[in-house]
Amino acid sequence: MSVNKLAYYPGCPSEATAIEQHMSTEAVFEKLGVELVEVEDWNCCGAAEVEDPRVVYALNARNLAIAEKEDLDIVTPCSICYYNLERSNKALRADEALRTKLRGIDSSLDYNGTIKTKHVLDVFVNDIGLDEISSKLEKKVNVKVAPYYGCYIGRPPETAFDDPDNPVLMDKLIELIGGEIVPNFNYMKTVCCGGPLMMTRGDIAFDMARKILDVAKNAGADCISLACPLCGMMLDGKQADIEKALDVTIGMPVVYITQLLGLALGIEPKKLGLNKNAVDTKEILGMVV
Amino acid sequence: MPIKTWELDPNFKNEIMSEAGGERLASCFQCSTCTLGCPIAEIVPGYNPRKIIQMSLLGMRDEVLSNPDLWICLICQTCTARCPQDVRIADVMGALRRIAEREEEAGKLKIDSPRPLFDKAFQHQLKKFGRLYDMGLAMEYYPKKEGSFIKGMLAMMKDYKDFGMRMFLKGKMGPLGGGSPVKGMLASKIKQKDVMKKIFEELGEEGKEK
Repeated sequence: MSVNKLAYYPGCPSEATAIEQHMSTEAVFEKLGVELVEVEDWNCCGAAEVEDPRVVYALNARNLAIAEKEDLDIVTPCSICYYNLERSNKALRADEALRTKLRGIDSSLDYNGTIKTKHVLDVFVNDIGLDEISSKLEKKVNVKVAPYYGCYIGRPPETAFDDPDNPVLMDKLIELIGGEIVPNFNYMKTVCCGGPLMMTRGDIAFDMARKILDVAKNAGADCISLACPLCGMMLDGKQADIEKALDVTIGMPVVYITQLLGLALGIEPKKLGLNKNAVDTKEILGMVV
Repeated sequence: MPIKTWELDPNFKNEIMSEAGGERLASCFQCSTCTLGCPIAEIVPGYNPRKIIQMSLLGMRDEVLSNPDLWICLICQTCTARCPQDVRIADVMGALRRIAEREEEAGKLKIDSPRPLFDKAFQHQLKKFGRLYDMGLAMEYYPKKEGSFIKGMLAMMKDYKDFGMRMFLKGKMGPLGGGSPVKGMLASKIKQKDVMKKIFEELGEEGKEK
């Protein structure tokens, strides 16, 4: 194992709507023997709502600089935070003038470009490694899973760390812990959940999320697995609203990949926040042997 | 409707290409790969990013900037990932949205979408607290979108009553949520809020006006 300590960037939803992703990420890393040091006084990455790239770079320079002071690479469980951290890291490393400009705005934005930014999936599979994880597994998570990756894992090309059309990192973890990947879901793996339009064009967002839920259900999945809190809010948090608005019954449990992995590592379901997912996850717990 | 060639703005493409994200616009050779893979085009009839790019290249400035379709792009990056010419369509759309917002602020255009209001409310919350505060965002956005506080609150209740209750019952938001007594109900504030203010004032749209 090549990694034993990382700076941890939880992202805003970790404090509210995606607290279960935060809880399970911390619990899993602890069990894997990797120390997470939360980026002190971290600020929002800008999400999808700050469109001006220069503002995004400045917001993330502060977070990167805090981790750099500790000389630690940054890991985040959120795909949007990852995209913003990574593209800012790339832009700041390549552009001396930009770094100078930001330093002039405030000394806390003084980042020298010496650390790496990573998504948890990337760290699990490519840094810690499947062999190492395998040696720590205590239980078999015997579930049929529709692995949903969303947008920022395989796209855009300069920040992607998996295949744009058929990403596989989550599939590998699910198979490792004894789960089964449902057939006929592959083409939905990276189709956007509609989350960015939830507040402004809820009708479109609901149609998009419903497609993913329907395909997972028709493929015979016991649950959908995710790696992004906005996807979680859309597919899990809003699922009952989608059912009501579109007059359909779905009832599809949606869990974060860190929650599934945590179960396989023998961590208490409550410590993984499995009582906090909006759609009940009790059936999934019954499949852990 | 035929294009009125005498109304085209030959400088529009340069305007877009000098905006961050718009630099690669002129590389488009109109293959339509962006539109074929677009998840919005699958749902919304007539939605066509290729057409927006071509209209931009031709200089159809008013038609492009007032097109409500600019505001339903998800920034999902599928088009950008698949474009054989590396046009970075998602970023071009972002550049167009920012130009349109400036035009609206200058009183030259009316944007037919609540999304700029949402983005602005989000940025305002971020500038104030340093982190996203869901409830504050909704309380700021809905009244602006609906045109009055009362209408805004009614619309917010309609959209978020059930969701809010669900989050409350799961202990994610509300008096007992989020691992502390009031997480989610109150804003989570960072210590260096002054840095957020400086960033937005120096680099944001406010900075440009100075």
